[in-house]
Amino acid sequence: MATNSIDRNIKTSGWEFVTKTVDKRALIKNQKPDPREELAELEARGEVKVIHITEENQPITVETLLGRTKRIPTNKLWHHKSCGQCGNIPGYPTSIMWFMNKMGLEYLDETHQTSCTAWNYHGSGTSNLVALASVAVRNWHRAYETGYFPLIHCGTSFGNYKEMRNLLIEHKDLRDEVRRIMHKVGRELVIPEEIVHYSEWLHVLRDRVAAMRIHDVSNIVTTVHPACHVWKLIPEDVIYDPNIYGGERPAPTTAILLALGAQVADYSTWYDCCGFGFRHILTEREFSRSFSLERKIKVMVEEAHSDVAITQDTGCTTTLDKNQWIGKAHGYNYDLPVMADVQFAALAAGADPYKVVQIQWHTSGWQKLLDKMGIDWQSSKAAYEAYLEELRAGKEPEQLYIPPVEQPV
Amino acid sequence: MSHDNDTVTHLRLDPDDVGQQDAQSLLEAIQSDLRYEEVIHGCLNCGVCSGSCPSHRFFDYSPRIVVQTVLSGDAEAVKAMMDEYIWACAQCYTCAMRCPFHNSPGGLVMIMREVAVWRGMEAVHRLLKPYGRVLLKVLSIGNQLTPDMIQPDFFPDWGPKIPWSSTDLAIKRKAIPVYTLQVTTSAWRVSPETSYELYSIYEETGVFRLIEEIDPNLYEVVADMVEDLRDMVESSR
Ligand code: SF4
Ligand code: SF4
Repeated sequence: MATNSIDRNIKTSGWEFVTKTVDKRALIKNQKPDPREELAELEARGEVKVIHITEENQPITVETLLGRTKRIPTNKLWHHKSCGQCGNIPGYPTSIMWFMNKMGLEYLDETHQTSCTAWNYHGSGTSNLVALASVAVRNWHRAYETGYFPLIHCGTSFGNYKEMRNLLIEHKDLRDEVRRIMHKVGRELVIPEEIVHYSEWLHVLRDRVAAMRIHDVSNIVTTVHPACHVWKLIPEDVIYDPNIYGGERPAPTTAILLALGAQVADYSTWYDCCGFGFRHILTEREFSRSFSLERKIKVMVEEAHSDVAITQDTGCTTTLDKNQWIGKAHGYNYDLPVMADVQFAALAAGADPYKVVQIQWHTSGWQKLLDKMGIDWQSSKAAYEAYLEELRAGKEPEQLYIPPVEQPV
Repeated sequence: MSHDNDTVTHLRLDPDDVGQQDAQSLLEAIQSDLRYEEVIHGCLNCGVCSGSCPSHRFFDYSPRIVVQTVLSGDAEAVKAMMDEYIWACAQCYTCAMRCPFHNSPGGLVMIMREVAVWRGMEAVHRLLKPYGRVLLKVLSIGNQLTPDMIQPDFFPDWGPKIPWSSTDLAIKRKAIPVYTLQVTTSAWRVSPETSYELYSIYEETGVFRLIEEIDPNLYEVVADMVEDLRDMVESSR
């Protein structure tokens, strides 16, 4: 497989020193017990039910930060959508489903899902641990009763659900309180065997996805923004691979880009957040703007000469994409396209840029990138505009997925 | 709200305590949170956390100072911090990745924010004001952002393409080829039964009562929506 190594200059930066000498070594030395083993014990004692990954889920095994294994289910998945897709990046969920259709994978996308509510919690504090855990378990239980395994689209939902899973396993009184609430809504306390992010699903299927590529992307320089709540919350549950930056950085997203044949450029602020800030993106946008421009976009362009910033979360995509235009007021004349890994992969695999990848919702200029990839977006635009007219005239919308008849909750 | 007994006090705060802002009791509420032991294990005062903190770069804010102040036990200083200081944190958890003591200053800030809100501290009203639309959505349908919230008036700094995202929205959402996403007032179609269950969660965990205490106007709007939806679901059963 394609490999990537850390840029020599970046190797000597403070971050790499700290990563090597503090984070990973210390985490390995002071390993916390594996929550999945504790979960198995709780299940054996009849304390909780577990949503197991079965053969039907066609799992693929990978290694995480501490060398533990994690099984990533690839089939029969329940879409836990991200509320951040709306208005900003609807092509994020559609690209996932487009690939699932292409690969003949089974999934369920339905209306009985709530958001994880964790964005609001991190931003405003107007929730609490029991409410967050109950919301998580309600969604997990819904997936459980349908027989599908939850696939978490959003980075914050993924981080929050990892936390909730661990806290529920560790604290009996939290379990008891959540169980009490679940009984009130006619549900049970269930915990998934693994919390799985869509970028992990894409990661383990990267060779199959890469085999679908029809556009040459070898001349495209990408830069990866790993989402904070994906890899910094419960870091021991994140996939690492010795072939990707020597196992020193999370493997998902970088690995799919390499599998597709794109270049992945290292940059010195790769570990920084995007500037989203949860409350800042809404109420203190000067921070979000300054941080995303100064610490991410500028570095990606000037240091890494990037053609595109690749993300793995809806909030980061929004922040990095939407905050570039205002930068012109201060001489930041960047126009770096921003999209999720799955959107980039879908483009490379020939998905319609308008109808499937929904690139028209992205504000930073993506036209040059698509030209460079050899994608005829003008024809796609014309077809989309004609399609909008048809919809206006009352045509029934096309669907990537026909939802099953709504099942009662 | 009959279950507010000793067994759950460290799991969540009681909305009846909104207004109780004695500094010592605030500090005790922070320290008795179930997550406190996981986020603080001591502190070397090394400043590694602040060194990589995005908010430290742009605000008068340092996670090292937050941790040191809480560990100092100076309740008045902690209280002063909860009013404004800790709200600069971007909740990115870079500090938690880097702290040689495996502290999570971001996690500590989250506990402090929760206590600040659940005790109705003064700054919270100001801080939450611009958050009204998100709160309304999250309380009524469980979504935090919806397509119709992306309006040029609200996001003028997002540039000249934003009006495209907000005009003719119903048709453009219909052109997204996934049935659940073809809506404008929620992030996806949420079944009434799902919202019904969510309301029970908010009720049982004190969230509705908290909103009633800290933002009665918002609560009134939410309460009407909740009642309507409950009537609808119950009559269809
Ligand atoms: S979580 Fe908060 S304190 Fe920690 S690095 Fe991020 S912004 Fe700074
Ligand atoms: S990095 Fe950890 S030990 Fe160092 S000042 Fe911050 S909290 Fe304290």
